[in-house]
Amino acid sequence: MLFFLTFLTVAVTWIHIPEPWNVVVAIAIAVVKATIVVAFFMNLWWDSRFNTILLVMSIVFFMILIGITLLDTLFRVDPIPTF
Amino acid sequence: MSETSAETKHPAHLHHHFVDSDQQFESSKMGMWIFLVTEILFFGGLFAAYIVYRAWYPELYLEASQELDAFWGAINTFVLIGSSLTVAMAIRSAQLNQIRGLIINLWITIGLACTFMVIKYFEYAEKLEKGIAPGIYYTYDGLEHEKANIFFSIYYMMTGLHGLHVIIGIGLMLWLVWKAKRGAYHSEYYTPVEITGLYWHLVDVIWIFLFPLLYLID
Repeated sequence: MLFFLTFLTVAVTWIHIPEPWNVVVAIAIAVVKATIVVAFFMNLWWDSRFNTILLVMSIVFFMILIGITLLDTLFRVDPIPTF
Repeated sequence: MSETSAETKHPAHLHHHFVDSDQQFESSKMGMWIFLVTEILFFGGLFAAYIVYRAWYPELYLEASQELDAFWGAINTFVLIGSSLTVAMAIRSAQLNQIRGLIINLWITIGLACTFMVIKYFEYAEKLEKGIAPGIYYTYDGLEHEKANIFFSIYYMMTGLHGLHVIIGIGLMLWLVWKAKRGAYHSEYYTPVEITGLYWHLVDVIWIFLFPLLYLID
């Protein structure tokens, strides 16, 4: 089963290179690959639910970090700093 | 295990403040997950920087990522996913009490991790040769964008920190091999193998995101 999943993730890498809708597709495929690794290689599928909650919370707080940062940087009148 | 014989049957690896091996194992694993959460947020800061600058200079990312060779990035993705598989197989071997298999799988993983770093070294060397260095040391004139150094600062920071994690992972697995050869692990006790595996898979997951975000923009 693990061999099959590796093959799947590998095949997915090759399909998406010519895709014009690059960012959304690239992130979506990366999320699928990461989910497979986390669920099966890292055993979260069979593991204590608490460890899954920890992982989900880290993603939630990462989203908050990005969300609040972008609320600032996307709406600056003079957005571009010198660096 | 009956109440009276609990003291005498106490296994060598079990610390006295745990009820049994299972509880000790679950506690270690939860502690490792909490560490991995801090790792995700650690890299999260860099991903945030990536997103902010990509929102400011979308055309820079399109232009500059052409300098990165997607072929070698893809090879490295295969290498890391393969090494995740061999780590999973090492843990399986430990669960089945096959210590030889455990050691062989760890060596394969170390080999793949070294392959990753060697490819990374040649990628870095090829860029530094051209003057593509981070920040103020950037001297390459092949890109028209005036902020081209920003993309490569982010590139070196993210892949460099990831590479540092790979090197730490190699060190941890050499330590596991050393311990395994001394007979420290068996099917009842393989916690260090399990949590090093968790760490290694996280390094793989981070690369799974870095690869399309840095190499595959076109």
